[in-house]
This record gives sequence, structure tokens and C-alpha cells, in this order.
Amino acid sequence: MLALKNIFRWYNSGVNRAFVLRDVSLTIEQGEFVSIMGPSGSGKSTLLHIIGMMDEPNEGEYSFMGHSVLKIKEKQRAELYKKHIGFVFQAYHLIDELTVYENIETPLLYHGIGASERKSMVADILDRFNIVGKKDLFPNQLSGGQQQLVGIARAIITKPNLILADEPTGNLNSKQGQEIMELFKTLNDEGVTIIQVTHSEKNATYGSRVIELLDGRIER
Amino acid sequence: MIQNYFKIAWRNLMKRKFYSLVSILGLSVGITFTLLIGTYIWGELQVNADLKNVDNQYLIQSKWKQADMGVEIATLAPLAEALKENYPHLVENFYRFDGITSTFANKDKIFREEIQLGDSTILNMYGFKLLHGDATTALNQPYTMVLTAEQAIKYFGQSDVVGKTLTVESFSGSKKDFMITGVLDKLATNSITNLLNSTKSPVLMSFESSDYFGRGQFNTWNNPYNVGYITLKEGVKPESLAKPMAKLIKANAPTNISDNLLPYLTPVKEVYREANNGIVKKTIFTLTMTALFILLMAIVNFINISIGNSFTRLKEIGVRKMLGSMKGQIIRQFLAESILIALVSLLVALILFEIFQPIFGQILNKTIPSLLSITPYFFVFAILLALLIGLLSGMYPAFVLSNIPSIDSLKGKLKSIKENIFFRRLLIVSQFSIALFVGVGASVITKQVNYFFTKDLGYHKEAIITARVPRDWSPKGVEKMETIRNEMTKLKEVNNATLSYEIPETNSKNSIGIYKMGQDSTQAIYIPSLTSDDKYLETYQIPMVAGVFFQNKESSFQAGKMVLNEAGVKALGFKSPAQAIGQIVRLHFSPQSYTIVGVTKDFHLGSMHQAISPLAFMNVKENTIFRYLSFKIREGNIAESLSAIQHKWTELMPGSVFEYTFMDDTLKKLYQSEIQLKKASELATFLSVIIVVLGILGMVSMSIARRTKELGIRKVLGASSISIVMLFLKEFIVLICISIVIAFPLAVISMNSWLTGYAYRIELNWQIFIAIAIFFSLMIAFFVFLQTFKAALTNPIKSLKTE
Repeated sequence: MLALKNIFRWYNSGVNRAFVLRDVSLTIEQGEFVSIMGPSGSGKSTLLHIIGMMDEPNEGEYSFMGHSVLKIKEKQRAELYKKHIGFVFQAYHLIDELTVYENIETPLLYHGIGASERKSMVADILDRFNIVGKKDLFPNQLSGGQQQLVGIARAIITKPNLILADEPTGNLNSKQGQEIMELFKTLNDEGVTIIQVTHSEKNATYGSRVIELLDGRIER
Repeated sequence: MIQNYFKIAWRNLMKRKFYSLVSILGLSVGITFTLLIGTYIWGELQVNADLKNVDNQYLIQSKWKQADMGVEIATLAPLAEALKENYPHLVENFYRFDGITSTFANKDKIFREEIQLGDSTILNMYGFKLLHGDATTALNQPYTMVLTAEQAIKYFGQSDVVGKTLTVESFSGSKKDFMITGVLDKLATNSITNLLNSTKSPVLMSFESSDYFGRGQFNTWNNPYNVGYITLKEGVKPESLAKPMAKLIKANAPTNISDNLLPYLTPVKEVYREANNGIVKKTIFTLTMTALFILLMAIVNFINISIGNSFTRLKEIGVRKMLGSMKGQIIRQFLAESILIALVSLLVALILFEIFQPIFGQILNKTIPSLLSITPYFFVFAILLALLIGLLSGMYPAFVLSNIPSIDSLKGKLKSIKENIFFRRLLIVSQFSIALFVGVGASVITKQVNYFFTKDLGYHKEAIITARVPRDWSPKGVEKMETIRNEMTKLKEVNNATLSYEIPETNSKNSIGIYKMGQDSTQAIYIPSLTSDDKYLETYQIPMVAGVFFQNKESSFQAGKMVLNEAGVKALGFKSPAQAIGQIVRLHFSPQSYTIVGVTKDFHLGSMHQAISPLAFMNVKENTIFRYLSFKIREGNIAESLSAIQHKWTELMPGSVFEYTFMDDTLKKLYQSEIQLKKASELATFLSVIIVVLGILGMVSMSIARRTKELGIRKVLGASSISIVMLFLKEFIVLICISIVIAFPLAVISMNSWLTGYAYRIELNWQIFIAIAIFFSLMIAFFVFLQTFKAALTNPIKSLKTE
């Protein structure tokens, strides 16, 4: 599905380059459930952002579903991730001014989907996640677990092939975290590729593969 | 999608109520002011727009090499007609009139009206429509007239008055019935009927009636006091009339006129805007600039608050980008928000417009239409204006924020924070500078206007009233008026009274050519004359410098005496007032010689725009023209004095109206446009102060919100409340200093250039500037203090907790 080759990412701090990723190469196949682990500052999130096309490496090659991501135009790249990638964050990143319903609907607006279709798609998801009763609430009226549920609903409503999750359970208690991980497992069983960044060994066990990062290099 | 944008925009507005309120208030003040001024300007541009064939209509004006020989707005009486007759291939039509005033009566309804004794061409030439009567024949016969529906109703209580008559008084005191042959529909303000008086419409009479007013012989080439208009043929340039005019004048006019006169054509559509040194044009310009600046200040507040808020919006932008939003969509969303604010402000502004429209109309002395009766274009303009403001103020935040990489925005990082602060400070400095500039401008204008009314005028204006008297311009008429004057003076309420042609209202328009005995008449110096009786000096309390005012009190009238003012002495080339006494001079077109018997001190006959001009007093007994009785009334109960005079007046002059004006009011009229400017600039100052204060409230509260944690830490470390306040104040003090450095030099330059328009003016002094600077700084300090003091007093533990 995607392949990274000799990826370098650095920041210039004064005269020195501070390397975040050094020579990372990685291939992930359709249907995998990958966990990226490593201590703070090892480059996990940066790697995830590069995969999600929100950040660009300074050197290296990246191909995603047959497209050479770093060589195509920004607009095409935007189309690519819009179509295939969904994001889930530790801090949920819901839009505070929008209701649950509207938050889930927003990506559909950006996909240019018609009003009636939007309505049924959002209704399906609300139903599936059992949050129909919460659809008119604002994010700050929900618990953390519920917010993350909305975050995931929002990520999968466009039916992406790949979900990128950046410590999705980091802000949740263990019971809520477990529910979220179960949900990911189900999604993965349905064929969605999942890449998560996590600190938790337990969460990693849900995945099919673990990548360990240390100081910007893949250790395992 | 758009709906979605506006929904979020609305929620954002509601969420940050205080900031939205500050933005909306400021913007609506700016928009209201702009709309009011826009309406005023629209009205001014509509003047003359209704005239038929207006692009080819011209007014013949005059430049005189020697000042005071004639007036600029008028020309030689026969010129317009001669142009049409001699150059029919250039000139399509002409209209010329002699402007006079007289008393009209229908039984006991007696009023004084202005009259245009003119050609019958007027109605057709400008497309003036008659409500009643036949426009093609209305003005063909002598002793007929056309008046406005308003006037008809005033005399008869109805507008269809064709065939009825009004009694008109001549200048020799006789009375005659004139038939009404036409009633004009309501005319929009134009430079034909409103050339001399912008508010009152004249009665139109045919030129054939001139004889009745003793002006039959006035249609000559040595009368430069008639107004002349021509219509040029399609495609003829006004420049091509220069030679024909010069030729006609050379061939017909006396040499003293043809040597000095340079006629030129002014398009009628520009006459109104160019009149009085282009006062209307200048007012339009000044007001447009003021509106733009006030609007700019309001927009600055808006942008500052949007940028301030953008810190809290970053996360949302990041999320949206990650969800697949394109940059353009983010930009559109922000623009939708700012446009929404602008539209809400417009709504508020429309309400404010309706409230302030009468007050503003009063300031500008114009009727500003209410929203209910306004043209639909107004709303189109208003909405376009709001959209433009929305776009302008949303643009910067929209583009800056949409350009931040999505990861940075998710993390809430504003990379361009330094540049941002610079931009915001730039905005604040420009706002402060405008406010300071407007403040200095307003106080200089106010000072100058006060100066008009407090400067020593050279005469005493207190307790003087003037009233127009019926005319009988004959030696007998003068004798009668002088008797009436003496009767009036006997009233205990009247200290003094005088009969004269001029009052201190405008510079005298009647100039006489004076030359010394032995000089040739071509060396004559033109000096404005003031025709009065020998009581003028006492009534107006003008000091003498040398000699006597016509004669000693005890001696009786002797012909051939003249009094000059000091400027007149200089103009005629005498070394000193004393030396002028006893000198004999001669006048143009007069066989008689005159002895200079007295010299008065200079006094302000006209406005302070011009230096005091030379003046020659002529005795009304010889030069039998008069218009006014001026009364110096006893101080004390003014109403009582007025009714006593009124009573005596009707007793002595039955059938004439006692319409009096206080000298103070006459002077106010003289400085009308300056008083307007003063009021407008005070209003502008007030508005800019409001906007600055709103801006400061918004900015300081935002910066406190952002720095709560910092303030907490500082307090824990032992900072005093005052030092916390100073933390915020410091920044503003620097900005004020920079603004002063920018605004004051500009103010000095522009105010000095404004003041040069006045021969008598105040000096710009540093006190004005210091006062404005101190007031402005204190005001800002006060509001900063008000906002920060609370923050400075709160328990630091609280503020640290909330982080």
C-alpha cells in the first residue's frame, strides 16, 4: 500500500541539524494493523505525519498506492489523502463550535457530497457508534471517550483505506481506551489499514506488527 | 457550504460576544458616518443634474485685472445676447438676468422676494416645467411673472393662480399689479434659480419689466453686474468662445472695462461646486477623507481583534485542513465570518443612520433623506460597502492563517508571530495618528471660528439689528427715510439708527473709480463704496482717525464730501490720513468733484477671508440708494425693544414688513461653512475617540487573556499591581509617541495651508499640540488602567490554575 525509502527529516537549529528521522525505510501492506512505538522524541509522530502527508521529509522517497507522493502537485496530494486517509488524534481535535453531527459531517462537505447523501451517511455512523442521542451536543458536553468516538466516526465516514491514529487512547481511562482499541480491531477486520502511534504495550497487542523507533531510526 | 460557513461564523460571533461587540460597534459607527456623508455627497452631486442639456450649459464669469471693478459671478449685461446674435453657429441660446429684490403683496399678505429680471428663454432653455400656464409665452409680456408653487400657496393658499395678480413695489416707491402667467413645479437645487441664494427661489419676470424698476437703461456694456448664461451648440468647446467674447467686449465696452475684463465660461454643472473658491468641492473632499479615515480606524480595530482571536482559531484550521479542506475553503470561511460581521454592523448602522440623520443634516445645513424615502441605490451602495469592508478586514487574517502548515496549526504554533505583532502595531499607530490628526484639526478649526467672533471687528456688533426698508430711491425718498429714522431714534429703546445701502455682511459690490484732481480718468483706482447717512459711524461705533464723518454734528448737509477708511487712503496713494483730508478727487461718470473730509479706522465690512479692503463712504443724500435701517438697541429687555420698534415701524411704514436680523446672526451666516466644518470636525473627533477606545478595550482584554499565566507568575515573583499595569501601558506609550511624531507634522502642514485661506487668522501654537497629546495619552492610559487593574489585583493562584 505504501512504501517509505531512505526518509530523512531534520530541523535547522542554529548551525546544527537536529535529526528527527534518519534513513527510515518502511513498507506497509493493505490490511495491516501497525503500531509505532518508542520513547518521547523518537520521531513517532513525525513519521505518522509524513505518512499522512501533513509533513514532508527533507530527503527520501514516498510512494502511496502507486503515486509518488513527493513528486506530485499539492492539489493532487490533497486529493489523495482526502480520499484515502483518515486521522484520529490523542486530543480528539474536534471543532468546538460544531455539534457532534456537524463535526462528523464536515469531511463530507469537503468531499463535495450532496446534502441528502450526507444525511444518510452521518445517520448510519451515528447509529453504528450508538451516539444518535448525542448528535446535537457540542464536544465540551461529552466525556473524553465519547469525544474520541466522534473523532473516529469523523475519520471513517469518508471510508478511507488507511487510518492514522496518534496516541488515540492517550487521554482516556483504561476502560474507554479498551473500547476504542476494540473498535479499531473491528475496523481492521473490515479491511481498513491502521497505523497507530502508542506508548502502551497493551494497545500494541491489538496490532499485527510493531515498529520501534529510537532517535529517529527504526530499531525493530 | 456557504451556509456552513455562516453557521460557524455566527457561532464564533456568539462565543466571543465581547470582541464581536467591539468590532460591530466600531464598524457600525464607521459605516453610519460613511453612509451619512455618502448621502450628503450624492445630494450635492445631484445639484444641476436635472437641467436640460446640462453638458452644453455655461455661465459667463469675469476675471478683473483690477480688483473691485466688478464681481466674478456676473458679466456685462448685453454679452450673452450679443454672443447668440453674432455667433449663431456656436451659441444655441442665452439667458441673462438682473437680480433684484422687492416687496410683493396680496392684500395683507406681504413678503419680500428675490426677482430675476431676465429673458423669456429660461423656461425652455433649462426645461423648467410649469404646473400651470404656458411655458412658451409665460414671460413674453412686461408686468407678468412666474413664481413657484410654494410662493403661490404662500400668497393665495393654492397653486393654480395663473391670471391672478400680485402688487409689486418699485424702487421709486410706486406700486403696480403684475399678472401671474405661470407656476413652476418644485425645482431641484440648480445654479440658475439658486445662483445667488441657495435656499430661496426667485420670482421670474420678463426683462421688459426693467423700466418699472428704473433699470431699463441697465442693459449696457458698462454694467458688469448682470448674470449671463449661454447654451453652446452640440460639439462646441467652451474655449472657442474666448475670442468672440474678447472681440465683442473690445468693440462695445468702454476702454476701462475692456482693458480689465477677462470673461470665461464655467460649465453650469460645475458652478455650484466651484462657487466661493470651490467651497462645496472642498467640503466634499474633506468629508470623504474624514469618512474614509474613520472607516479605516474601525477596520483596524476589526483586523486587530481578528488577528488576536486567530490564536484560538489555529486548532480549528489545522483540523479542517486535515479533514481535507483546501486553502481556498479556509480563506472563504474566514471571509464569510468577516462579511457576516460587516453585514451585522450594517444593520446596526442603518438604525444609527435613521437616528442621527436629522442631527447630521443640521450640521451640514442640508436635508439628509430618511431611509424610508431614500433611493434604492443607497441600499445597493450600503451592501456593497459592507461586503467590501468585510473582504478588506477579513483578508489579512484569512490569508495568514490559511497559510500556516497544518501540523503547526494543530499544535497552535504561530510562526509568524513576530511579523504579526509588527503589523498590528503598524495598524494601531495609523489609527492613533488619524485620531491625533483629527483632534488637532478640530481644535484649530474651533479656535479659528471662535476668533471670527471674538476678534475686534473695528465696530461694535452687539445689540445691532438690521432690517430691509421699502425702496424709493429718489432725494424725496431719502428724505422720507431719514425722517422715519429720526422718529425711530426717538424711541427710548433705540440708542441710534442709520440708513445705508451696505451693512457689515459682505464686501461692498459697488465699486467706484476714483482719481485725483489733475489725473487722467484712466488712472482711476476702483474702490468699493459704502452709501450711508451721517449716523452710520455712531450707530456702528467706528472710530475716526482724522477729520469728520461727512460734517460736524451741528452743521447741515453739504454736497461733494467723501469719507475714506485707512486702507482707502493707502489705495489712493496718500501718505497719511491727515494728508488726505481736504484733498479733492473725481469719480468716473460723475461731473462732480469730491472733497475727502474724514478718515475712519479700518473695520471688517466683509469676512476675514480677505484683508480689509479700501472703502469710500458716499452720502445717501447724493447717492440715493439704500436698503437697510440699522438700529443700535438699548441693552436689556430685547423682546420689548423689538416689539416697540415693530410697532413704530408699522405705524410709519404701513404695508411693509419688519424683518430684522441680529448682527450676530448675519456674521454667523458669513462663516456658515466654517461653522459647518467646525461641527463636522468635532463630530469626527468624537467618533475617532470612540473607535480608539473600543480598540483599546478589545486589544487590552485580549492581551490580558493571553498573558494570564505570565501575569500570575510575575505576581508570584513579587510584581506590584502598578508594575503590572505599566507592563501593558508601556507598549501603548511608545505607540502614542510614534503616532505623535507622524501626526503632528502632517497636522501642522495641512492646518497651516487651511489657515492661509484667511487674511485674519490664529497662529498655530505648541499649546494646542501639547493639550491634544496629553488628553489623548491620559485617555488611553485611563482605559488601559481600567482594564488591567482588575487583572493586576486578582489572586495569582487563580490565574495560574486556569491555565
